[in-house]
This record gives sequence, structure tokens and C-alpha cells, in this order.
Amino acid sequence: MSELRRDPITGRWTIIDMQEGLAPEPQVEAQSPGVGPQHCPFCPGHENLTPPEIYAQRQAGSAPNTGGWDVRVVPNKFPALQIEGTLSRRGFGVLDQCTGIGAHEVIIETPNHTRQTEDFTVDELLKVLEAYKARSLDLRNDSRLKYSLIFKNVGTAAGATLEHAHSQLIALPIVPKRVQEELNGAERYYDFRERCVFCDMLYQELQQDERIVCENHSFVAYCPFVSRFPFETWILPKTHNVDFDATPTENLRDLSRLLKEVLERLRAALNKPSYNFMIHTAPIDSRQRDTYHWHIELIPALTRIAGFEWGTGFYINPTPPEQAADILRRAAID
Amino acid sequence: MPELRKDPLTRRWVIIATERANRPLDFSASQPAPQPAADCPFCEGREGDTRKEIYAVRAKAGSAANSGGWQVRVIPSLNPVLRVEGNLNRRAEGMYDVMDGVGAHEMIIECPHHENNLAELSIEQIAAVLTTATTRMEDLSKDQRFRYVLWFKNHGSIAGAGRIAHARSQLIATPITPKLVKEELIGARRYYEEKDRCLLCDLIRQEQEGGSRIVLESREMIALSPFAARFPFEVWILPKVHSCDFQKASPAVLVDMAGVLKGVLLRLKSVLDNPSYNIVLHTAPFRHQRERLGHWKTLEDDFHWHLELIPRLARVAGFEWGSGFYINPTPPEQTANYLRNANV
Repeated sequence: MSELRRDPITGRWTIIDMQEGLAPEPQVEAQSPGVGPQHCPFCPGHENLTPPEIYAQRQAGSAPNTGGWDVRVVPNKFPALQIEGTLSRRGFGVLDQCTGIGAHEVIIETPNHTRQTEDFTVDELLKVLEAYKARSLDLRNDSRLKYSLIFKNVGTAAGATLEHAHSQLIALPIVPKRVQEELNGAERYYDFRERCVFCDMLYQELQQDERIVCENHSFVAYCPFVSRFPFETWILPKTHNVDFDATPTENLRDLSRLLKEVLERLRAALNKPSYNFMIHTAPIDSRQRDTYHWHIELIPALTRIAGFEWGTGFYINPTPPEQAADILRRAAID
Repeated sequence: MPELRKDPLTRRWVIIATERANRPLDFSASQPAPQPAADCPFCEGREGDTRKEIYAVRAKAGSAANSGGWQVRVIPSLNPVLRVEGNLNRRAEGMYDVMDGVGAHEMIIECPHHENNLAELSIEQIAAVLTTATTRMEDLSKDQRFRYVLWFKNHGSIAGAGRIAHARSQLIATPITPKLVKEELIGARRYYEEKDRCLLCDLIRQEQEGGSRIVLESREMIALSPFAARFPFEVWILPKVHSCDFQKASPAVLVDMAGVLKGVLLRLKSVLDNPSYNIVLHTAPFRHQRERLGHWKTLEDDFHWHLELIPRLARVAGFEWGSGFYINPTPPEQTANYLRNANV
């Protein structure tokens, strides 16, 4: 069971795993990413190694929790938050806490153990995006939840422990701090100019054309002017859109194409880097319809975060985004 | 010249290196081998291998600058992320805000002999390091271009230390108050507005009553694992008597603090098998242009300086980056319990 605790100074929340007896492990630079296909809980034939599936895209006639699936969503076996229980908020003195209620799901992107996301066909990646959308729409029905974060960790340096292609969804009873900061910033900008800050950024980026990596009919990928990390890349829908899960299928197909291309370019330019990506979308039941704009933030894990960054929240980026975009544009891909 | 760029969305500033930019091949996954002790440029007798010292505590009276005989030595950083020369040159680039990367970046060499871990130095030596930090911070606070100086330490390769295995910490003075510090300042002020008391003074009293998260306590200082610790074995060290400026700490407080810091580091070393760690100091920003910079009149009463110590055990992954939420697998009560019972 876990507990949510709020830092009294900054208001930052932490999920604390309250399990007893977790000994201090002198961790952890795990070198090998997890297990081979014979023991992999995500491979077909091993459906019994995961909790029962929540969602799957299956070939006609195959039964749940057996083979024959293309994309499969299961509860995380070691969830950071529990879906059962009531949300209770308590305080003692200056300290606030809340029961660790939420959802933690794993999206198994392919039955194939070795194929990585950038190797998928556009149709296969589209199925993954459709799964994100379906799960995110379904979790809107749980009134305890305020936010669904979809994210992906690839490679040990980015925190992944299994190599079989997968992403995760964590739904939270609180709008997370980073998202709230973006919502506040977008609202502040809108109050001043009556325009969406993301739409303005896109317009300026497309005009200047210094930091664009690639684009298609409905999406743009670029390295933000204020990139925190080398080769940080954002993908935005070109027209104003608040909710990721409201994206129609024909646009998801464009996204699938562009995401695949960006991942291929990163792989070619950086020699298979570890990376994280996350989808930032409006909170469930957000009233901010004009100000916020959903997007994907993609961060290759190339540099180490050290004391200065932890102490200040101030990042040092050794690669100007103009150069990163140029290198990614020139990367040789098929 | 490095550039400071401001995110129009979150108002976060980022330092972008524009000169010696890293190309893809520079990001090698493998760790560079540590430099052999015989080649260490930070050892006594190798003063000629570094840039000229900015300051030194000289143990041997009369020893000349940039020669042996020092106890603690401060030099400009070998790879400065900000440049000390020039003006800020604030400007707009379309909708974006930019200024020149002006600031100071100094290295505090913490001992003359070849030792890598601050924990192994004597209390007297650690006190000299802390005193040196206060002296340099006081001096940097006179520069009207700077608003904040961060004292921090990276120990071990996972925590971002380089190839040289010699104890050191760093100072970076910035022309803006960093985001995390600002968040703490705002949180502390909000509490003070409501209660007319310092939040961290209240927190210390509450933790002392409960006791379950306290690691150790001395006459002047308290070390505890915070209630909402982001990381396993995160420890904060705070002065028990209210003070907003670390650089105003008395010699007695600094000596006492050196003992507590050494105690906590030795306990971490024993429980976690010599972990990599970061230390960061959060203190009040410079107030030389108080009115103009919009600091509030209660800052001295509402903010409470403290040291945050983070062993680097867990990797930060997509969830943390995307949400700003942390997942901590070790409850702080357990952390405190392990550290209290450590063999030292």
C-alpha cells in the first residue's frame, strides 16, 4: 500500500511505498535490461504472468488472457498506486497526506520481444496510440481521478527494467505539479494576449524554421527554444487541441507516422539512446479549453542530473536546440 | 558566451551552452576511468595545474598564494557553465526571453591531501570548508548582477562527479533566483502570512515531538528525513535557531554543523555501502536591491536555510519527469530508523 505525502514548503507530492521491511539496497546501475523472451512476462504464452488484462486488441475469436493479441493492457504487477479503496485526505500539524489511490497500467505494445517502437509499422504504432486513447477515455469515468499520465521509459539510463516494448499509464487523484505549472503558465499567457501560448510557439517555430525536426499534415516535431536536455524534442498537434484522447483516428495515424520518424532519427543520430517520453494533456474535467494544448515531450537520457539541477530546478543544456534539430534533420534514416 | 533562456510556459530558465556544444558522440554511455591519484591537479603541490586561486584558507602562516600550505582552496571551475565577465544583455527573441550567461562558477577544494569523500575529513576540516563557503558567498553577494548563489556537491559518478577523485564542492552564482528556491520562498511566505510563524521552525518542533523521522540532533542542528522525501534516504539538515542566511551562521554553528554533516554522511556510507550523493544548500537570495527585486519584508522571518542531502539510488524516469511527482520506495520513517541504528 502506498501513501501520497505533500511537501509542506513547495506543495510537491511524493508517492511513498509503505511496505514494511524494504531493506536498503546498495543499488543500482543495472547493466542488463531484464529478462530474455523465455521468462518475459510480456511475451505471448505468458499471459498468466501478469494480472488479468484490462484491454486488448485481439485477433477475432481469441479469448482474453491468451495469445492472439496485438496490443495488451494489464495492471502493473508492482503498482505505485492502488485502484481499490476510498480517497481520504488527512493532515497532522503542518503535514498533509492522502491515501495512495490511482491506476497504474502497462501497455504491452507488441507480442514480439525484440521489436522496438521505432521498428513498428505505422499501423502497429497506431494500435498502441489507440490503446492509449481507449484507456485514457475509460479512466475519465472514475470520479476519484484527476489526471492520466501516459509515459514510456526505454533503456536502463531512462529507468526501464524490461526490454520488451511497453509504455505505462498512471492515473492520479491530484493534478501533478509539472502539468499544473504548464496550465498556470498557459493561463497567464492567455490572460495577457488571448492566444494559446503553444499555438504562438508553433507559429514562431514554423516561421523561424531553425528548430523544426520534421512535420506532416497534422503534427510538428521540434526542439524547444528552452530545451532542458540535449536533443529534447516535442511533438504538437498543429491545430489547437486540449485533450489527447479527443484526437480522431486519422490524426492519430499522422501522429504515428511522425512519432516513428522522430524515434528513428534519434536512434540514428544518437546510437540507440535511452529515452523517456510523456504525453501532457489537460486534466480530466479541465475547464481550460482555450489556453492549454496537449503535446508529447521526448527526452533522451544522455546527461546526468547533478547537484546544481536538483538544488535549483535550473537545467544546464550542453547542446543548443538549433544544433540538435539540425543533427536530427540530417540523420540518415530509411 | 552561454545563453540563459526562459520558458514562456513555466518561466523556467535554462542555461544553453552555445560555444563548446556537445555533439552526439560526446554523450558516451560508458564511465570514463578515474584519474590516477598521482595526476590529481587538486592535491597540495600541484597548484600550478589549476587556474589561479580566488581564495584560500592557509594553514601555514605566510605561505604564498598558489603554493602549498593551504587547508581549503577555491579556484575558478575548470568547465564554467556561466561566465563572470560581461553584462546580462537582457533581450527578446520573438516571444522568448534571453540573456547572456553571466555568473560565477567556483570550485572549493576541500582538503590538501588526496581524499575523495567529505565524510572522511575531520570535523575541523569540514568546518573550514563550510566557513570557506560562507566567505565566498558573502563576497559574491556584493556583485550587483547576481541574485543567488548555490553551494552544492556531487559525490560519485552517478551523482555527476567527474574523473577527479578529490573531495570538492562548487558554487554557482546566478543572475536569477532559481525556480526551486523561489517555490520554497513562496511556500514559506504563504505559511507565514497565515500563521505569523516560520514553517520550518514549526516543522522542526513537530518532528521533535514525533521523533520517528529524526536521524540525529546536536545543540545547534537537526538532521531528519523529510515527511514527503522524494528519494530513498533523503536527509535534510536544519539549524534549530531560525535564520534565513547560511552565510551569516556563526563559527560555533558551523563547527556544530560540520559534526552533524559528518555523522550523517558516515551513517549513509555505512548503511548504503558508500553511495553516490548530492548535497545542495538552500538559503535566502541576495537582498542588495531589496525593493527593486520585489522581495518581501518578511523574508528574513519566514525563510529558514537548510541543507538537502540526496543519495543517488533510484533513477528518475518518465513518470517523474512528466509529473513532478516522485515515487519513493523507502518510507522516511524507515530511512531515519536505519540511519539512527547505523554502525559508525
